[in-house]
Amino acid sequence: MLAYIAHYLVMVGIYTILATSLNLLVGYSGIFSLAHAAIYGIGAYASALAALKLGLGFWGGLLVAAVVGALAAALVAIPSLRVAGDYYIVASFGLQVVILTVFINWTSLTNGHAGLPGIPRPSVFGLMVDDPFRYVVLSLALAGLTYAICRRLTGSAFGRTLRAVREDEIAAQATGKNVVVVKITITTISSALGALAGSLYAHYITYINPTSFTLDESIFITSLVILGGTERLAGPFVGALILLAVPEALKFLAIPDTVAAPMRQILYGALLILFMFVRPEGILGRARVRPAA
Amino acid sequence: MLKRFALLVSLFVLAITPAAAQQAPIKIGAILPLTGSGASYGVWMKGGTEMAAEEINAAGGIGGRKLEVVYEDHAADASKAVNAMRRLVEVEKIPFTLTSYSAPTLAIQPIGAQNKVVMMNGGGQSDNLANKDYLYNNIPVVSNEVGVLCDWLTKEKKFKAAVMIVANDEAGRNSAKSFRERFTAGGGKVLAEEQIALDGNDFRAQLAKLKAQGGDLLFISSYGRNVAIVADQARELGITIPMAATSWVQIPEVLKAKGAQGLLTTRLPFSPDSPFARKFKERYKTDAGFFAVQYYSGTRIFAAAAEAAMKKGGGKLDGEGVKNAIESIKAFDTISGKLVFQPNHAAVMDIEVGVLKDGKVEVEKIIKAGQ
Amino acid sequence: MDLALQLLATGLVVGSLYALCAIGWGLIYGTTLHFHVAHGAVFALAAYYAYVGQKLLHLPLVAAVLLAIVGAAVSGLLIDLLLYQQLERRGAFRTSLFIASLGLLILLENVLAIVFTPDPMRMDIGALNTAVIIGPVFLTYLHILTVALAVGGYVALVLFLKRSRWGQAIRAVSSAPEMARTVGIDLNRVHLLTYAVGSALAAPAGILVAMDVGAEPFRGTRFVLLASVGVIMGGIGSIPGAMLGGIFLGLLENLGIWKLPSEWQAAISFGVFLVFIVLRPRGFFGRTIHSAEI
Repeated sequence: MLAYIAHYLVMVGIYTILATSLNLLVGYSGIFSLAHAAIYGIGAYASALAALKLGLGFWGGLLVAAVVGALAAALVAIPSLRVAGDYYIVASFGLQVVILTVFINWTSLTNGHAGLPGIPRPSVFGLMVDDPFRYVVLSLALAGLTYAICRRLTGSAFGRTLRAVREDEIAAQATGKNVVVVKITITTISSALGALAGSLYAHYITYINPTSFTLDESIFITSLVILGGTERLAGPFVGALILLAVPEALKFLAIPDTVAAPMRQILYGALLILFMFVRPEGILGRARVRPAA
Repeated sequence: MLKRFALLVSLFVLAITPAAAQQAPIKIGAILPLTGSGASYGVWMKGGTEMAAEEINAAGGIGGRKLEVVYEDHAADASKAVNAMRRLVEVEKIPFTLTSYSAPTLAIQPIGAQNKVVMMNGGGQSDNLANKDYLYNNIPVVSNEVGVLCDWLTKEKKFKAAVMIVANDEAGRNSAKSFRERFTAGGGKVLAEEQIALDGNDFRAQLAKLKAQGGDLLFISSYGRNVAIVADQARELGITIPMAATSWVQIPEVLKAKGAQGLLTTRLPFSPDSPFARKFKERYKTDAGFFAVQYYSGTRIFAAAAEAAMKKGGGKLDGEGVKNAIESIKAFDTISGKLVFQPNHAAVMDIEVGVLKDGKVEVEKIIKAGQ
Repeated sequence: MDLALQLLATGLVVGSLYALCAIGWGLIYGTTLHFHVAHGAVFALAAYYAYVGQKLLHLPLVAAVLLAIVGAAVSGLLIDLLLYQQLERRGAFRTSLFIASLGLLILLENVLAIVFTPDPMRMDIGALNTAVIIGPVFLTYLHILTVALAVGGYVALVLFLKRSRWGQAIRAVSSAPEMARTVGIDLNRVHLLTYAVGSALAAPAGILVAMDVGAEPFRGTRFVLLASVGVIMGGIGSIPGAMLGGIFLGLLENLGIWKLPSEWQAAISFGVFLVFIVLRPRGFFGRTIHSAEI
């Protein structure tokens, strides 16, 4: 039972990082990206390869993941400079598919579907983090750090510029804001943090393969942001806390896995629809002024 | 009187307590393809395991303790297998698990080795599964089988130029690698290979590319129901050359597929008329297959090793003890004959070669184990 | 060269399936501006309607197909009536509509996965599966039927939009919704009609795939994404653009692997699209892409 709870909290930490970093794009910048799982995967692969091929430790891997993630941000940023709205959604879908195909087919690096086994559990300040309970501390600490970074960022002058760009790109440009720099900065920070979550995941599960970074995963991360509420930084944490409890709860109902997995998805889908009716601003969100119908 | 009765009761409780503790069941895992493209294997693997567990329990269990199997589904996805293994190790605290498929087994092996949990693989055949700590394979590695197949294809059937369609996973790629080596060593040439997704169902583009390469043989390095789709679509595209495959194709979907008739294939020994096969059919209303025997045997091997380990360890059972018992016993009696674990932790078996005709393999030749 | 011809033919067949999805999705998007990803669920539903019609209700193949097309049209119409129109009445943002649509897609696909299992359910199509050999090219009658249906569907849609009164109403709403409202066109009714027509066009694509390789719950997502790519490349609001966009993607995916390794097939369309959208965010034909607000 305790082992279940520990596992649940580790995953809450990882998904809080993912959803908080995605919220920088979706909530604060109006860049509706559905490619966050790809960034998550890039972080996981970078960190796993750093550990397996270069023999780097956990912190080194984390750093490599963040740097590679930040570089990968260009993939997300460049289309966002040319198109917005629905077109960006389709472009990010496309990006997700392309990156996933690279994970699957660049076998000399990623080992394809067979994946990378034997990623070491991290050692932090000389202490092996090899049981789930210690990992809870690590995961939640990094989630807290992510939250602090994002809070600092969105509360600053840069955060106000960000919102100005979100509300009206052309007006922001007219008042002398450099929209290109703003978009590149925010995608870089968001991707570096998303990649960090990938590193944490790879070292926790000790194995990665492409199936953990699919379109479904991107949609799931987006759901966390939406259900938690895009207007508040703590929204994604609340979203993760609630949505990740669902599969754990289903495990106790002794439903066969073939039914439990789709049941979970059905529930997520139903929640997305329901929230759009009763609370489109999310659990923690502040109600926005609705346009006159 | 009452006091004496109380004393008697407490004495009695004291007496049975250790025995009651011993009555706690032994839990083991079984990580199998219960859904997805390989669900047909899963039916056999689970059935075989269930039958073995029931028989063991009916005969008094292992060292007086009942055997309980926790089934997990990996649906051919290694990351699902890893999550299942973590749960089995950290929550169920198992000393032993049955495992299946190459990529999932390779993915869980470091976890098993680290936590001293013995893994018995009766299905996956990648050569990379050999020589791994805490992992035993009661099945030969694929290079044995592909070697026999290639000898037969090049020396007796005189094939010269092959093209390959390869599942892009551990098992598919590893068997393709063996085929390339052994077919070339036999004087043949591999002209081209195309990769396919295990869960796909439209392979016409890949087949069209292979068709353009010519060749006199198509080797299908894949498994599960998609082999049937490959065979049917190859014929539909006008690919008329013979096809070859390993024993992975011995499942009803493939054997019955129209396009697969004439397939040149290897087979591992399985007799559909054995008492086991008859019992299986009675219990599950479906024909048994090779993999049912494999997982029946895997479970039986665990029971034998665990019994020995408990005797040696004074009733204590852990993964290290089971591993040591397997290492020292080495040769196990199974319903398909004596099974000897080789120094590389894999088994050797007789291998048959034959042609698929009207849903049945007509065996042409049997190559004895280790030849 | 034989290979190129075979890939060209296969590409045309696959492109026809994409085109059927794209003209339906493009009609809906151009008229309602809903980013209707649940179109993928309608595609999957149509496949299972046909499967159920043939295998469980034991209808003849043609009847099962007709039933499935009608079923798909009704399903699309109900999605608009019960979901999008309700949300719009509450003054929801376009983002909310998209998210609800995504939620519905996930929900319906997984319901199908529970009811029918995720494994492909194959239909019996008899002689349609017979190979047709045209020079070096091997196809089946079903493949030829696919191309014919895509062309037929396109022609029927264009005639419907040009000649019929309802079609003209759709065109009016599509090009100038406010104007259409002032001349007394009921927008909601036109939207319902658009959904019915657009969904009826997705149905043959879903059914043809079910006939060829089996009905599967999660196959629609890829089709609807490719449809949206085709529509954007062809230009929003242009039915010929959507048709050509769909066929172009099918040809691209198949001719692309003439020289590229085939395992990259899934990424070709989206990769080209990403380059395309960066270089030419206006599409080939249609009206200027507005940075549609979401």
